[in-house]
Amino acid sequence: MSVVDSLFISGVILGLLCSILGGSTASSSFLKHPYYGISPQDEKYYKTSSDTIKCKDGSNKFTKTQLNDDFCDCLDGTDEPGTSACPNGKFYCQNTGHAPRKIFSSRVNDGICDCCDGSDEYDGKVNCPNTCWEAGKVARDKLKKKIATYQEGVTLRSREIEKAKLSLVKDEEELSKLKTEEKTLKGLVQQLKERKEQIEKAEEKERLQREKEEREKKEAEEKAHREKSESVEEDKQENNDVQEHASFEKKPDDSTPDDKVSVLEHSPEDQDMAKGNAEDDKAAEAEHVVTSDNVEEPWNEVELSAAEKIEQSVSPKSEDNSAVVPDTGHGAGSELSHEEAKKVGNDASESTEELSREELGRLVASRWTGENNEKESQEDGVKDKAHEVHEEVPDSTHDGEDDGYATDTDDDTERYDEAGKYDDHIDNDLDESYEDEDHDDTSSSYKSDTDDDLDLSETTSPSWLEKIQQTVRNLLQAVNLFQAPVDKSDADRVRKDYEESSAKLSKLQSRISSLTKKLKHDFGPEKEFYSFYGRCFESKQNKLLSLSSHACLVSLQSLPIQTSYPGRRSLFNSLGVCVYYHIFPCISDSLIFFIHQGESSCHLGTDSKSCWRYLFAPSVYIIFLLPLKRSMP
Amino acid sequence: MSTLNFISLFFILFLTFQTPPVLSWKKDEFRNCNQTPFCKRARSRQPAFSSLTAHQVTISDGDLTARLIPKNQTDGQIKPLILSLSIYQDGIARLKIDEDPTLNPPKKRFEVPDVVLPEFESKKLYLQRLSKESIDGDVGPSSVVYLFDSYEAVVRHDPFEVYVRRKGGNSRVLSLNSHGLFDFEQLRVKDEDEDWGERFKGHTDTRPYGPQSISFDVSFYDSDFVYGIPEHATSFALKPTRGPNVEESEPYRLFNLDVFEYIHDSPFGLYGSIPFMLSHGKSGQTSGFFWLNAAEMQIDVLGEGWNAESGILLRSKQKTIDTFWMSEAGIVDTFFFVGPSPKDVVRQYISVTGKPVMPQLFATAYHQCRWNYRDEEDVEQVDSNFDEHDIPYDVLWLDIDHTDGKRYFTWDRVLFPNPEEMQRKLAAKGRHMVTIVDPHIKRDDSYWLHKEATQKGYYVKDATEKDYDGWCWPGSSSYLDMVNPEIRSWWGDKFSYENYAGSTPSLYIWNDMNEPSVFNGPEVTMPRDALHLGSVEHRELHNAYGYYFHMATSDGLVKREHGKDRPFVLSRAFFAGSQRYGAVWTGDNTADWDQLRVSVPMILTLGLTGMTFSGADVGGFFGNPDTELLVRWYQLGAYYPFFRAHAHHDTKRREPWLFGERNTELIRAAIHVRYTLLPYFYTLFREANSTGIPVVRPLWMEFPSDETTFKNDEAFMVGNALLVQGIYTERAKHASVYLPGKESWYDMRTGTAVKGGVTHKLEVSEEYIPAFQRAGTIIPRRDRFRRSSTQMVNDPFTLVVALNSSQAAEGELYVDDGKSFEFLNGAFIHRRFSFSNGQLTSVNVVPTAGKSQFSSDCIIERIILLGYSGGLKGAMIQPANQKTEIERAPLRLQGGHSPAVVTIRKPGVRIADDWTIKFL
Repeated sequence: MSVVDSLFISGVILGLLCSILGGSTASSSFLKHPYYGISPQDEKYYKTSSDTIKCKDGSNKFTKTQLNDDFCDCLDGTDEPGTSACPNGKFYCQNTGHAPRKIFSSRVNDGICDCCDGSDEYDGKVNCPNTCWEAGKVARDKLKKKIATYQEGVTLRSREIEKAKLSLVKDEEELSKLKTEEKTLKGLVQQLKERKEQIEKAEEKERLQREKEEREKKEAEEKAHREKSESVEEDKQENNDVQEHASFEKKPDDSTPDDKVSVLEHSPEDQDMAKGNAEDDKAAEAEHVVTSDNVEEPWNEVELSAAEKIEQSVSPKSEDNSAVVPDTGHGAGSELSHEEAKKVGNDASESTEELSREELGRLVASRWTGENNEKESQEDGVKDKAHEVHEEVPDSTHDGEDDGYATDTDDDTERYDEAGKYDDHIDNDLDESYEDEDHDDTSSSYKSDTDDDLDLSETTSPSWLEKIQQTVRNLLQAVNLFQAPVDKSDADRVRKDYEESSAKLSKLQSRISSLTKKLKHDFGPEKEFYSFYGRCFESKQNKLLSLSSHACLVSLQSLPIQTSYPGRRSLFNSLGVCVYYHIFPCISDSLIFFIHQGESSCHLGTDSKSCWRYLFAPSVYIIFLLPLKRSMP
Repeated sequence: MSTLNFISLFFILFLTFQTPPVLSWKKDEFRNCNQTPFCKRARSRQPAFSSLTAHQVTISDGDLTARLIPKNQTDGQIKPLILSLSIYQDGIARLKIDEDPTLNPPKKRFEVPDVVLPEFESKKLYLQRLSKESIDGDVGPSSVVYLFDSYEAVVRHDPFEVYVRRKGGNSRVLSLNSHGLFDFEQLRVKDEDEDWGERFKGHTDTRPYGPQSISFDVSFYDSDFVYGIPEHATSFALKPTRGPNVEESEPYRLFNLDVFEYIHDSPFGLYGSIPFMLSHGKSGQTSGFFWLNAAEMQIDVLGEGWNAESGILLRSKQKTIDTFWMSEAGIVDTFFFVGPSPKDVVRQYISVTGKPVMPQLFATAYHQCRWNYRDEEDVEQVDSNFDEHDIPYDVLWLDIDHTDGKRYFTWDRVLFPNPEEMQRKLAAKGRHMVTIVDPHIKRDDSYWLHKEATQKGYYVKDATEKDYDGWCWPGSSSYLDMVNPEIRSWWGDKFSYENYAGSTPSLYIWNDMNEPSVFNGPEVTMPRDALHLGSVEHRELHNAYGYYFHMATSDGLVKREHGKDRPFVLSRAFFAGSQRYGAVWTGDNTADWDQLRVSVPMILTLGLTGMTFSGADVGGFFGNPDTELLVRWYQLGAYYPFFRAHAHHDTKRREPWLFGERNTELIRAAIHVRYTLLPYFYTLFREANSTGIPVVRPLWMEFPSDETTFKNDEAFMVGNALLVQGIYTERAKHASVYLPGKESWYDMRTGTAVKGGVTHKLEVSEEYIPAFQRAGTIIPRRDRFRRSSTQMVNDPFTLVVALNSSQAAEGELYVDDGKSFEFLNGAFIHRRFSFSNGQLTSVNVVPTAGKSQFSSDCIIERIILLGYSGGLKGAMIQPANQKTEIERAPLRLQGGHSPAVVTIRKPGVRIADDWTIKFL
């Protein structure tokens, strides 16, 4: 006889017995006791002396006979802890030998064993063996492992804290020292600048005088040789020179262009500077092709187009400098980049007719796969960025001392680059990432913050500073302003020193700015992430990030802990999680995830349930150690 | 590990953060009518163009036959066409016109095989006689034959015209060639200087047989609107495409195409084609017209006054809607359905093309899909997250990336090392898996399927008779010639557990890209001059290619379990008859409000044309829906016959729990609505399976005389009892909902009675979309929530009885094993519940001789009475003579507090039994 038959009959019998409350039917008759499915802490709620019990949500009340009678009277499930009648209820399994558990009422008598003691399946349709002892053992072992992991993590963390303290002190010291030097150097530069301007004024005067004389002389000559066209041409040439000279703050001597170029090459990351000095699109593109760190083509292209944009906006103002960058040397690069730019620019649909069948297939396929799309939209993104940048660029070209600005721009660009890389990885076939595991590299990190690459050893040496001070003093004394004509070599020396000093100053300031920025970051309450600044890693297990492999995944630059990261807030909200997290790559062979409680966000309307879900140990960092594939610089 | 999962989710979100979708329907890549010579030619013709007259009209072999000859033909250049008109039971006339095979045309024209049911032929009425009449002062005669009941079919001889009319008087229903636009380009031998080739976007169609198109006008009488001819993303009532007040428009195109990012209001043809049109008018009557033709078709709906200057004398003064049908090839094989009710027309159409599948129970529940669930761990995570959040789902889907290099029937063994184990784990929770199997076969000599297909010569050939080589997901690919039954059978065998390694009995199939999609083909499909079995050109059967593929796959799944397991195959392409093989969805839609909105007319249209098992991707395939849109889409999607969430791989992850606790709750509630209504849906699927009446129907199908409903495509009926209207705008505060009929409606959330025949301005809540139960109906529910529908089979039922003004109501419940074909042998429980005179009774709908082979111990745990005016004294259950209690209890158990309604507590009656409950 089937279960429900018997239930039905029992119902009928009860009905005949004139149960006032209606038959106590269905699975309730299988219940071992009326308080089935109730946790021990909760039992006293039900074991009251009164005949009726309130639903916990206050919506209703029920009699004791209605407790676990397989009919839902309370929307919150209070009356049916031991049956599946209420959709919102919870069933308690005791699970002796393992941890007790509360499961959704929807799991009761659904034919699937959920509780290891089998107590959720009692209607006889399935037989659930008690597996609590075995399960408990597995869980205990797991917990032990977890504790060991935590302990290891705590050790790592304290090591990092120590390290951080040291580096922090060092960085702060350096910063204060740099600031002092900056002050001094600023004064010097100012002096030099003034002197230089005086010299230039004098030169200008002289030059005008000379021109006037020449003109007079020429006029005289012209009178003599009125018919000779050669002289006219010469004259023109002269005029051009005049204009050119007038537009320069100083007359470039032979060595200057080379210097500038070398500056460029030393700081390719400083895009603004590169742009400012670039002669035209071609040169800028060439520069980028040559200096770009990115190996993947699409990113070169995107960068290029971004660069182009910046270029266009900057170039009108930087024409003056056109003489500085030689045309030669980058010819090949510029050709290449033009071709690429063209490729990007092409509207796919327009060109379908010229494509081979295979290319066409790929092209159309790429719409769905989004490869192409991504490229386009990334490009858009970068263009937008570029747009932002070139709105600000003019300021920076006028005011070269605004270092903070320049650094910001760098950072933004970098962040986008990195984001771009990630996107590329999404597209990569997994196969690829698996393959990548084969060629392991040994270095575990590289410095992604190019500011750090600046060679400041010279600048930071006090002897150097003294030397420069001395030199300047000497120079200022030696140069006689009132000498006429101005001594050419003196003037050049002043100019050269000014150039050098202000270059040094800007390096110094850049270093200060990057240090200040670094120190401003939130490195955790005890600065435990300090030494991870600017370092990138990758995860070996693509499971974690599923995009994985061979590039810088995370760094402080790309995922600032401050709220400035645009996606951060919504991501947290959408996940219903209220923790600050730090994803830090790290040391040795592990990838560590530090998660710690974010005080503020926990109080911002997120419920404690989701807050605690990820916080096994609230005040302690949770550290996961996972095998890490070391990345390549 | 939830933390790790959270982090990886974070990353995925982060990475996709900066890639907003770029809407880019590549309009230029597809032909418009002007670029399609046959369409351009046909559209330029004026009324009265046709000069055909019918000769030798006679009865032969039970059909009316005739020869069509141009009126002023003197030189005999144009060969006569053969016409035959057959009459079938229940109001169907079939008109065929073809070239005369005895006159040796260069090639036999293609007739679409395997669409019309074989048993349909047995319904043919053998005509005995025709009567000749001179109608309306015509000089020439018309031949009249009996059609059905009070209908007659008429062939007017000169000018040639065919129509259906009501007996006595001249009240017409449907007609063909009333405007003289009929044209039939006969096949001929090419002149030496002729160039038949056609070039489009760098593709050349050799067109070795030259022009062979057919076009004609069809008029629907007493008609206000026409509907049908999917698939287009446009309004349900078809807007005119030509006429005095019509903006420049393309005709409705029927040409199965893989359209990237289709737009939401366009006559442009999408993934499937059903050349079946219905008309409906104030008289409450419906008629239908179906043209069995699988070549490219273009259909104009002609706006009033389109022919004002034609000067043609029309015989009928009835209000008509004229339409103009054009096809590139094939023959005239058309069906006239006389109705007269909307449901009659659907039944008539279904009797020709077949009944919709009876899905397995699980397939009617919620499906979770994404391109792609990456690997086994991802699958496990998603699965366990559903459990963790107590959200039920029945099917997890794997898109193309689960395969080894897009070789179907294989697994990427790195990502899916243990597919059987994975499926077994899902199956242990009563869940199923669906994997994708597309028609393009990777041209890779080490791929067994390709090797075998090549050896056997099973591929479609190109114009030079080599295996056609096109580009799709795997790169260079070939396409099986599914029109060939032998190849279909061979294909079906590939689904055996032996051939499909890693498949288990809980695995079902998804056919995508079967238009077929060919990335480097003309209009992203196969060239029209590709060759199929018997030198049939692809142009002739293009629209049916996906149909045959769907058929082959579905038959394969039937074979897999030796006919014991109902197949489940989702297809993107479809044709008339696809309803017999599985579900379809509306393809690659986009996550925006307009596309949410257009999903309703699209699904209504599919339902009306047989494809009742249909749905749109919940959330929108392309792009990222904002949270509100996603929630609204779930709320609406819960009422789609086919309820599946799906997303493009570039989109952010959007499983239901990723949008905060509140939204998880809202989505859970929406999915729960579907699960509570599963008994009702399953009953409706059975109704569709036996009658063709769609699960989701337009209001006018239930209220045929209510004019207000004719254009309404924002609300729809689920069965005859439930009216649902989506919320299609952001932050909506109010919605206007029209509730047809004289009887009241009961708000599904509150049980509040609302007046019928009125448009109500309702306040809108974020928690639900408007849904009302019609007074006079009974809806069966199952209120207990489980992990999947599988665990619900033993759960008790709730009946919601919505009483009408005479305190009566009626409803049905259909239950079977949810899986096998045994229901065809009577193994089911089908009850009719009716409430009248203060008592509720349950009787068998089909009183089967002897006992049903299916039994169930399920009981009814709760009966809710809405609009009950009696007291609450109690109820007596008979035959047990048991008294039971009546109380006030919540209308719903889920989704916040619910008002108390009259409830019979635990009547405990079995659904398998006859019983009566008397209210005291």
